[in-house]
Amino acid sequence: MSAPRLLIANRGEIAVRIARACRDLGISPVAVYSEADRSSLHVRLSDAAVAIGPAPARESYLVVERLLDAAKRTGATMVHPGFGFLAENAAFAQAVIDAGLVWVGPDPKSITAMGSKTESRARMQAAGVPIVPGMTEPARGPDEIAAFGRAHGFPLLLKAAAGGGGKGMRVVRSEEEVPAAFERARSEAKSFFADEAVYCELYVEEPRHVEVQVLGDRHGRVVAVGERECSLQRRHQKVLEECPSPVVGPELRARMEEVAVAAARAVDYVSAGTIEFLLARDGRFFFLEMNTRIQVEHPVTEMVYGVDLVSEMIRIAGGAPMSFERRPDPRGHAVECRIYAEDPARAFAPSPGTISRLRWPHGPGLRIDSGIEEGDRIPLDYDPMVAKLVAWGSDRDQALRRMRRALRETRIEGIETSIPFFLELLQDPDVVSANVSTQFLERWTYSGGTGASAVEEELALVAAVLGASRAARAARGSGQPSWPSAWRTARPTYGSRE
Amino acid sequence: MKYHAKFQGPGGERTRQVEVREDSSGVEVVLDGRAARYDVSATPEGGLSIISSDGGHAEVVARAGADGDYRAHVGHTVLTFELLDDLTARALSAAGRRATRSAGDLKAAIPGRVLRILVGPGDRVSAGQPLVVLEAMKMENDVKAPRDATLKSVEVAAGQAVGSGQVLVRFEPEG
Repeated sequence: MSAPRLLIANRGEIAVRIARACRDLGISPVAVYSEADRSSLHVRLSDAAVAIGPAPARESYLVVERLLDAAKRTGATMVHPGFGFLAENAAFAQAVIDAGLVWVGPDPKSITAMGSKTESRARMQAAGVPIVPGMTEPARGPDEIAAFGRAHGFPLLLKAAAGGGGKGMRVVRSEEEVPAAFERARSEAKSFFADEAVYCELYVEEPRHVEVQVLGDRHGRVVAVGERECSLQRRHQKVLEECPSPVVGPELRARMEEVAVAAARAVDYVSAGTIEFLLARDGRFFFLEMNTRIQVEHPVTEMVYGVDLVSEMIRIAGGAPMSFERRPDPRGHAVECRIYAEDPARAFAPSPGTISRLRWPHGPGLRIDSGIEEGDRIPLDYDPMVAKLVAWGSDRDQALRRMRRALRETRIEGIETSIPFFLELLQDPDVVSANVSTQFLERWTYSGGTGASAVEEELALVAAVLGASRAARAARGSGQPSWPSAWRTARPTYGSRE
Repeated sequence: MKYHAKFQGPGGERTRQVEVREDSSGVEVVLDGRAARYDVSATPEGGLSIISSDGGHAEVVARAGADGDYRAHVGHTVLTFELLDDLTARALSAAGRRATRSAGDLKAAIPGRVLRILVGPGDRVSAGQPLVVLEAMKMENDVKAPRDATLKSVEVAAGQAVGSGQVLVRFEPEG
């Protein structure tokens, strides 16, 4: 009997990751690709591949009928959505199931419940999961604000009920400030939004983003697999994640895991998912949202807990119990850097292009989840993340050292990447000591080439001048568009370029 | 040949004089009057592996952009500067400014799709004003006016795909 086939409804590094899990399980991976991805790594690593349309995602990776058709044509019986695209689309999950295929993910009703901000908050509250305390009705007077502050603590954030976009917001740090702040917030609300209604919620200052990995199966088991720290975010996108969180000890971990399991159970969660929390400086934590899919940063959990979350998802989807009854004990520390095709020196502008040279790092403690190879063209149609570098160490310090080593060793030419940004970020004393919050990167600026050393500048000039004088010679022609013969004799490899 | 390299930094403009000589025994570079020898060999990515006589070394990829702009990767450090040969530098210095820049075009720094065009021919724009919005890799990027100028023409249309270095708008020469 031939191996069962699984259709990977995604592209790039996560499609490669899923193809690897398939191989490990004896399953045959099937790729789909848009016109821009004809020769992508995820296609090359799969047993079968189906074209699903032009480069724009809405004409290819987001077209449900083409994905289902691809599964039918290749005899795939399972569909893994990865992350992004249709991964949290309940209608797609239902369509997969209705087509008689196995959906590698949570039930559509779980996706729907967690996909709605209001419904998920209500369900979480009912399940005893802490959410950021806030008034559900506008305050009738300053006394109600003060009473709320006494019950939940300060600082508070006063907000215009009709507001949005940060306008009309005011931080109140103590009960004494309430009356004046209330009056000002009211008059601001009135002038900005023609509606003087204001309410308040707890203001979580300099919070950390800490999330808990959960896994549920159809045998009644829901297990939390530790937490990840993802406070370093730029434009609300995580850039560096680690496991465990440097500020979460065994006691806090146990409480967060308990709450995460309750949250997952409240929506009958099956498969891998993540409960995201805001962690306040006083140790309180609040539910943000649940991601009902595998996450970008799952490798740090896999490295520390010795589990294979993507394989577990596939096993569970097939009806098997997860392969462990309790979560394994954590071992060491793992850090992940997301390598984006972006130019840190130009305000992180996208940098699509062809990879003319690629050298990945090697050595102890490294894992590379990449969707690219030398010679690949990075299309401008998709997310700029091209790979993830993950470093493991017996402690956080060793993991960070290995990450710096890995970043230095990596060479990606032809496109700009976020590697110089990470090399600078990982030298910041606050990052090294984990003294960060979700606001950290808003205040941190990349200095870039201004930090070049005298030697670096000298070598840059030597290279540029050699290139320029060579170009000048070529322009002068004489049928010898290359280096002088002596040079060519001395350095044949260089002279033979072009 | 002699070159002038200009660096823009926090302390203003800084110029260094560079001269290169190649002979049978290798490369000699005179940097601000000080001569030094280098061992240079090619790397597969089209860069150079350079070792100076005192042991300093790095893999360098230097690429020429528009108008003599250079961008060099030295390991993971990125340097940008302007490199002009002696003759051009003198001609420009005699003319008082760079003629090529005073008229000039605005080019796409990155490939992308034109999402919106915010200005039209004849518009007076000020430095930093967004003129065109490009979309690439799920992000919108404003292409801004490099200086105060009057628009001569818009060379692209909404929805069009543009390559890196493609002209987006042209400016009137300054009088």
